[in-house]
Amino acid sequence: MGLIDIIRKDLIIVPLKSSKKEDIIDDLVSLYCEKNNLDETRKAEIVKAVLDRELIASTAMDKGIAIPHAKIPGLKDSAVVIGISRLPVDFGGAEKSNIFFLLLASQDKPTEHIQILSSIAKLCTSDLFVRMLSASKSADEVYQLFFD
Amino acid sequence: MSENYPFSRILVYLDGSEGSMSASMYAVLLARSTGASLHALYCINTKALGDLVKAHIFVSQEKAEYLEDLNKDARRHIRHIEKLAQSKNVTVRGEIVEGSPSAEVSRYIKANGIDLLVLGPVNMIRSRREELTSENDRMLRTASCPVLVCRDDEKLWQMFEET
Repeated sequence: MGLIDIIRKDLIIVPLKSSKKEDIIDDLVSLYCEKNNLDETRKAEIVKAVLDRELIASTAMDKGIAIPHAKIPGLKDSAVVIGISRLPVDFGGAEKSNIFFLLLASQDKPTEHIQILSSIAKLCTSDLFVRMLSASKSADEVYQLFFD
Repeated sequence: MSENYPFSRILVYLDGSEGSMSASMYAVLLARSTGASLHALYCINTKALGDLVKAHIFVSQEKAEYLEDLNKDARRHIRHIEKLAQSKNVTVRGEIVEGSPSAEVSRYIKANGIDLLVLGPVNMIRSRREELTSENDRMLRTASCPVLVCRDDEKLWQMFEET
């Protein structure tokens, strides 16, 4: 499965309301857990895995994009949750971030994980795509950008 | 070429997906029924890994960890197709390479005189964005030999069991 196969409209938040890194990760993971009927314990495990990865180094890139990610034990299929914030947030990078791709990856499918991350990275090299993502006002608009 | 078939060397591309496992089964059956030799290739996508480090999405420590995961995955899938082939009395030559998958498959086809490439499913065309093109799509477009795309997973698994 590639990025296009795992993007879901109900896993997109526009706009994100939190203004702290930890809260944004919590918001993105919460939406994933809510849509997949996962309990608080599982949510806490996923949040911890993502924060542990962020402790090694921030996943904030240039152009205001951050791609927090982690391998999650027991996850069958990889998932991506997208969030767009109106105001840039300090995500620990050289510049602030306002576009977030949370990738939760299945431990058993490393090739798939690499391919999905690579697709996100390639998409984000396009200034036009990033500008359009930033300007999106709804989950519908964000979703549609990928399927143009 | 085999006497009655337009191919004699089959290559199946493995990427760890369920689709590539189905393709493996189909390729084994095809090799057995035509007498063609069977090759299996798993490419560890070091091109993408390098790009992720350059983009600061991966740190070096993470790259090393993923390389290890990918190597394990590659060995597991090569072993899997060897077992599948053995169960049907077919010999398979498995190889693990590193690089860009579509480029490595093209190179392997030329270097080994492959005349049929067997792939797992390709994506439905849902986006025109080149960045979202899968490796299988790229191989389908760039392979210098005929390509066979396996689609129906369940039917293939059943066929493999019954044949």
